[in-house]
Amino acid sequence: MDVLLTDDERAVQQAAAEFLATEATPVLVRQAERAPDRMSHELWAKVAELGWLGISLPEQYGGQNLPLSYLGLVFEELGRRTAPVPMLGTMVVAQILARHGSPAQLALLEQVIKGDLILTYAVQEPDTRWSLDAVELAGRMDGEHLVLSGQKAFVDNIHTAGKCLVVFRMSDGSGLGLALIEPTLPGIDATDLITTAADAEAMLRFTDVRVPAADRVGTPGQARAIALEMMDLAAAFTTAMMVGAAGEATHRAVEYAKQRNAFGQPIGSFQAIQHMAADMTIGVDGAQLLVREAISRMGLGLPARVEVAQAKAFANEKCLMAVRMSQQIHGGIGFIAEFDQQLWYRRVAAWSLRCGTTPEHRALVAESLLDRQGPVRLGYDQSLQDDAMRAARVRS
Amino acid sequence: MDFEFTPHQKQLRSEVQAFIADHMTAALKAELKDDARGSGPEGEVFFAKIMARGWTAVSWPKEYGGQGGSPMDQFIIEEEFQRVGYKRIGGGGTGAPAILASGTEEQKRHFVPATIKGEISFSQGYSEPGCGTDLAGIQCRAIRTGDTYVINGQKIYTTSAHACTHIFLMVRTDPQSKRQAGLSILLVPIDTPGITVRPLWTIQNEPRAPTLTTYGEPRTNEVFLDNVVVPVSCLLGQEGDGWAVARRGLNLDRVGAWRYLISVMRDEDIVNWLKEDGDRNATLRADPRVRDKVAELWIEGQVARLMTMRSMSISQRGEAFSYEGAAEKVWAPEHGVRATEAISQILGPSAQLLNGSPDALDDGLFAHNLLGAFQSTVNHGSVQVMRDQVARNGLGMPRAGR
Ligand SMILES: Cc1cc2nc3c(=O)[nH]c(=O)nc-3n(C[C@H](O)[C@H](O)[C@H](O)COP(=O)(O)OP(=O)(O)OC[C@H]3O[C@@H](n4cnc5c(N)ncnc54)[C@H](O)[C@@H]3O)c2cc1C
Repeated sequence: MDVLLTDDERAVQQAAAEFLATEATPVLVRQAERAPDRMSHELWAKVAELGWLGISLPEQYGGQNLPLSYLGLVFEELGRRTAPVPMLGTMVVAQILARHGSPAQLALLEQVIKGDLILTYAVQEPDTRWSLDAVELAGRMDGEHLVLSGQKAFVDNIHTAGKCLVVFRMSDGSGLGLALIEPTLPGIDATDLITTAADAEAMLRFTDVRVPAADRVGTPGQARAIALEMMDLAAAFTTAMMVGAAGEATHRAVEYAKQRNAFGQPIGSFQAIQHMAADMTIGVDGAQLLVREAISRMGLGLPARVEVAQAKAFANEKCLMAVRMSQQIHGGIGFIAEFDQQLWYRRVAAWSLRCGTTPEHRALVAESLLDRQGPVRLGYDQSLQDDAMRAARVRS
Repeated sequence: MDFEFTPHQKQLRSEVQAFIADHMTAALKAELKDDARGSGPEGEVFFAKIMARGWTAVSWPKEYGGQGGSPMDQFIIEEEFQRVGYKRIGGGGTGAPAILASGTEEQKRHFVPATIKGEISFSQGYSEPGCGTDLAGIQCRAIRTGDTYVINGQKIYTTSAHACTHIFLMVRTDPQSKRQAGLSILLVPIDTPGITVRPLWTIQNEPRAPTLTTYGEPRTNEVFLDNVVVPVSCLLGQEGDGWAVARRGLNLDRVGAWRYLISVMRDEDIVNWLKEDGDRNATLRADPRVRDKVAELWIEGQVARLMTMRSMSISQRGEAFSYEGAAEKVWAPEHGVRATEAISQILGPSAQLLNGSPDALDDGLFAHNLLGAFQSTVNHGSVQVMRDQVARNGLGMPRAGR
C-alpha cells in the first residue's frame, strides 16, 4: 500500500504535463471548438508521434504495455489542458480490442497506435440511461451478416472515427452483442448534438445496417461482461479527465486570487476565499484518489465496477463544484467567453453528465452494499452479484 | 501507486484478527465497556499478551522499547484493536512521539519504554480558559528560579488528567514574550504538590455512551496549577522552543487509525443495521432515497480511507507533509458529522434514544454519536484552522492583511 506515485509514474506524468502545456494551449482548444471535426488533427498527430497512444497497449503492435494506471495519469493531464483530441473513445475501444479482439481486430491496434485510426463507442440510447438494461438497438442475423436497427445517443467523434464499437440486443432473445462497425455503413444517419463542451457528439439512427458477422467482438456469452468493462473504462477515464480539469481550474483560481485585489489586499488573503480553495482541493483530491484506485484495480484485473462507480459519482459533484467555485473566485470575468477560464467549466459540466450520473452510480454502490449477504467493511473487497456470477462462470 | 496491501500486511491483519478472536473474552469485553483503555485485571492480561506478540509501539525505535517496524504495520494493528473498542494499543498520542523527536537521551530512556508498557501516561495540557485554537495566547507561566520552575496558571479540557501519571504542559517561560515565542514544554508528574484536577463532565457521560461511540469521552478536566515547583530537568527541548517541540510530536497524531475509525465506522454501522432482519430494516433498505444517501456516505467514507492511506504513505516514505494531514483533518471529521446526522434522519425518532432507554437502537449508539461527532471538528486543530493550512501551506495563499 503506497498510494503516492512511483518515480516512473511521476516521470510519465511530468512528460505528459510538459508536452500538453506547450501544445494544448487555450488558443488551440478554441480553434478546435470551431473546427469542423471539433478536434485538433495537428495535436492528435503529435500525441501519436510521441507514443502516447500506445502507452498501455501491447508491445507487439507498437505499444509500451505499461500498466493501465499510466494511461489514467495521461488522461488526468489531457483533462488538465482540455486537450481537443479523441483520446477517450480511441483508448476505451483499443483496450477492449486488446483484451477481447479477434486476430483481425487486434491487428487494427497498430494503426491506432500510429494515430491513423480513431475509435469510438456507442452504448447509450435516446432514453439516456447509462445502463445495459436500456440497450434496445436490435440485432438479427441474416446469413453472414448482422443487421442492426434502432438508435444510439451521445456518440463521440463519429465523423472522424474509423470504427465504432456498438452494443446491441439480439432480437432472438439471446442477449447482448457487440460489433466493431464502420460509421460510414449504409443505413447509419448521424445528427450532431450541440454540447457545452463544444466537442463532437451525435445521435445515430440505424436502419437495417448490414454488418459482416466477422465484425462482432467476443462470443455472445461474453458480450455483457465486455460491455460492462467498456463502460467502466469510459467512466473511469472520463473521471480522470475531470480530475485533471478541476485541478487546473483550482490552480487557476488560486493564482488569480493571489494577484486580484479588493479592499486593499489580494482576495486570496480572505479566509472565505481560502476556505473555498481548500474545499476545492479536498474535493478534487478525493476524486483523484478514488479514480486512481479504480483504474489501478482494473489494470490488475481485480473487480472494479463499484470503485469506478464511486469515483464517477463523487467526481460528478466535486469536480463540478471545483470548477464552479473557480468561476466564482474569478468574479465577472469567469462568465466572459473571451477569458479562458470558462473552457474548463464548460467541459467539466458536460463530462459530469457523461458515462453515468451521480444517482446512477450511487445505485450501483448501494447494490453492492445492501443486496449482498454479510456485513460490510470499508477497505475490504466489494463486488456485485454480477461479478460473483461472472467469477463462478469462469471457474466452472 | 499501489492500492493493495502487501502479502505481509494482509498476513499481519489476519494474525491480529485471529488473536482478537482467541483472546477477547466476554469478561474483557465487559471491562472495556467502562474503560476503553482496558486497565482492569482482564485488560492487563490481554495487554501482556499483546506485548508478547510485539504489537505495541510497532513503528518506534527498538532502542527505546519499540519494534522498529513500519508505520503501516502499526496502523493495521491499531485499526484492528480499535475496531473492537480497545484503545490502549495506540502508538501515537501525546508524549512519547514528541519526546522521541526532542528529548534528551535520558528523557527518551526514562519515558518511552515506560509509556509503551503503560507505566507512564501523559495528558495534554495545552488548552486554557482563554485560548484553545490559538495557543499563542497561553498564559500559564513557569518562572525559573535556580534549578526549578515555579508554575502558576490554569488548564482546561485536560482529558485523562485524572488517570495519567504526567501532564505534557505548555507554559510561558518568558513572561515578557508574546504569541508563540517564549513558550516551553514541561513534563510534569501529575502528583506534584499544587496541582488540582477537577472533572468537567461531557454531554456523553449520562447515560454512558456504548463502546465505539464517536468520541465517547465521558469526562475531561480542569487543572489548576498553584505554585507548582518542578526541577528544570522536566523541560523538553529548549526553553522558549515549546511551539516547535509540540508541533514535531503532532503530525501523525492528527491522522492515524483512531481518527480514521471515528470518522467512518458510522458508514459501516448504518449499512450493517439496514441489512439486519426486521420489517423496519427491510423497508428502509428498499427505499431509493435511503439507498442513494447510504451510497453517498459510503463513497465519502472511501475518500476518508484513501486520504488516510495517503497520509500513511507519506509517513511511510518519511516524506514531509505539506497540506495532506490538514486536508484529511477537514474531510474525515466533517464526513463523520454528515454521516451521523444523515443516519439519524434515516432512522427517525428512535435515533434520539440513549443507552438504557426502551426502544434504543444498538444501545443508543446512534444517539450518542449525535452528541459526539461534531467534537472532532473542533479538537486537534479545528476544521477552520485546518482549511487555513490547506490554503496557506498547500496552495501558498497569503495571510490576511498582508
Ligand atoms: C472533550 C474534549 C477533550 C479535549 N481534550 C483536550 C486535551 O486533552 N488537551 C488539550 O489541551 N485540549 C483539549 N481539548 C480542547 C480542544 O483542543 C479545544 O477545545 C480546541 O482547540 C478549540 O479551542 P477552544 O475550545 O478554546 O475554542 P476557540 O479556540 O475559542 O474556537 C472557537 C471557534 O472559533 C474558531 N476559530 C478559531 N480561530 C479561528 C480562525 N483563525 N479562523 C476561523 N475560525 C477560528 C474555531 O474553529 C472554533 O470553531 C479538548 C476539548 C474537548 C471538548
